[in-house]
Formats: sequence, C-alpha cells, structure tokens
Amino acid sequence: MMDKSIRVDDSAKNIHAELRHLADSISQIIKGIRVAQEPIAESRNKMPQAAEQLERVTQQTATATHRVLDMVEAITGREGEIETQVKELRRVLPSTYFRNNSRVKRIVERICVSVSANRNDAYAIMDALQFQDITSQQVDHAISLLEQVENRLKDVLVGLQLDVGPESDVKRKERAYDPNARFSSNSSEQSEVDELLNNLTKEKQNN
Amino acid sequence: MSSLKILAVDDSPTMRRIIVNTLKRAGYDDVTEASDGKDALAKMKVEQFNFVITDWNMPEMDGLTFVSQIRGLDEFKDLPILMVTTRSVKDDIIEAMKAGVNNYIVKPFTPETLGEKIGQVLKSVGRS
Repeated sequence: MMDKSIRVDDSAKNIHAELRHLADSISQIIKGIRVAQEPIAESRNKMPQAAEQLERVTQQTATATHRVLDMVEAITGREGEIETQVKELRRVLPSTYFRNNSRVKRIVERICVSVSANRNDAYAIMDALQFQDITSQQVDHAISLLEQVENRLKDVLVGLQLDVGPESDVKRKERAYDPNARFSSNSSEQSEVDELLNNLTKEKQNN
Repeated sequence: MSSLKILAVDDSPTMRRIIVNTLKRAGYDDVTEASDGKDALAKMKVEQFNFVITDWNMPEMDGLTFVSQIRGLDEFKDLPILMVTTRSVKDDIIEAMKAGVNNYIVKPFTPETLGEKIGQVLKSVGRS
C-alpha cells in the first residue's frame, strides 16, 4: 500500500515537471514568435517599396528608350533629306557634269554610301531597342514574385495572430508578362518556330 | 507604298513605335495602333483593317483571347493575323495557331523577318 502511494506521488511529480517543461517551451516559442514578428512585418512592408523601385526602373528605361527613338527618327529623317538633295543635285546639273567631273562624282557617291550606312546603323539601333519591352516583362515578373512573397508573409502574420501592420498604399496594377521573356539575338529561335509552323501546316494539309 | 491597312496591337508603346517604323520602312504606311485586345476590338468596330499584327501578353485582353474572339466573328474569319510575341514555347505556338493566327514571330524580331512573314501571310490568303 505504501509502495503504491510513493509510485503515484513520483508519477505526479514527473507529469508536473513535464508540464512545466512544456509550458517553458511554449513560452519560449511565443517569445521567439514575438521577436520574429517585427522583422516579418518589416520585410512585408518593404516589398511594395521594392516593387515600386523596380517599376521606376521600367518607367525610366522606357523614357530613355523613347528619347533614343526620337533621335533615331531625326537621324533617319535627315539622311532621307540628304538623299533627296543629292537626287535634286543630279537633276539640276547637266547630264554631262558628273562625266566631266569625276572627282565630284566620287565625292557624291561617297556621300550616298555614308548616308545609307548611317541610316542602316540608325535602324539597327531602333531594332535593338526591343530590349525595353523584354526587360520590362522580366521586371514585371520580378514584381509579381515580390507581391507573392508579401502575401505569404501576411499569411504567416495572420496565421500566428500577430499584428500585420498597416496596408501599403502602393496601388497594384494588372501585369501581363511572359515569365520566360528573354532577349536573344540568336536567329535560330525564329528558325525553330518556322520549322514547327511548317510541320503544323503539313499535318493540317494531310488531315 | 502598300494599300494594306494594318492594325498593330501591343501594350508596349516602345514596341508599337518600333513596329510602326519597321512597317513604314517596308512600305506599309497605313498603320493604326491599339494597346490591347479590347482597344483593338473597339477600333475594329469603327474602322476596317485588312491585316492585324498582335502581341500575346497584354492587360485587359490578351492576344490569344483577342484572336479567338475575332475568329468567332464571320466578318473577321479570313482576316490575316500575325502574332509577334516573346513566347517561344512549342505549346504556346500550337495554341496560337489553333486560336487562328496565320503566322508567328518571336521577339526580338528583325525587319527582314517581319517583311517576309507579312508576305507569307498575304500569299497564304491569296492576297500577294
């Protein structure tokens, strides 16, 4: 009888110790969560700022691209004017003039070659500016990822019944982008597309 | 100069400007711009176009929805459509062709590719 009461007493003491240990652990976890709340909330609040910063990069790149396009258009316009003037010169001068003035003829020919080269280079610059559309899609993808992280962090705070803090006043816009957009100057990509299109056309004709 | 009346649909003002310039260089002077599928549909209601160049990823209404919608209308079922997009995944191209595009260009494109593709599309619809 005596032995039994001692065993019960010991068990109660053990359970009590376990519960105390458990309570201490929970208390530590709660402290840990409270400590984590601030950095989680802070990180979440910084996400819209980061997105806004990226948005500004896109806007400034677009503005710069349009300035370059303005200049390219001005250059190609002036090159066209020079060509018109050379044509006019050829029209107003007697037909024998260039035959009798081979040096002038060579100078005019060199002007025409330079004009054409300048215009082609200007057009090459314009074609290369397509990078702006592609990088803006890449930035939009990055912003969407930041917005997803922001939402997940909010879920964590709500799930732990912690203060989520004030909502950001940065307005989210609808984004349409290709997550795989990339700037490739490799013509093989279009060749692969063309091969696929040819196969699809053949399949369609056979069916 | 070509008599083609082209509608260029892209949400990027940079791309629209490059496309319009490239088309003008190739002799296509009559080009109207639209910023997405919805804007394009609105413009098609008031103006008649005989060629459409469209992007895929656009807000409001994407290029695929736009193409599917116009292909569903009798008046546009034979309208030549060229898709110009960054999407180069095989399944995307198949999806676009199924939706009704006549040809497909991957960005960044060259002026030569754009000119060739317009020619191919016009030939395929018997308008070259």
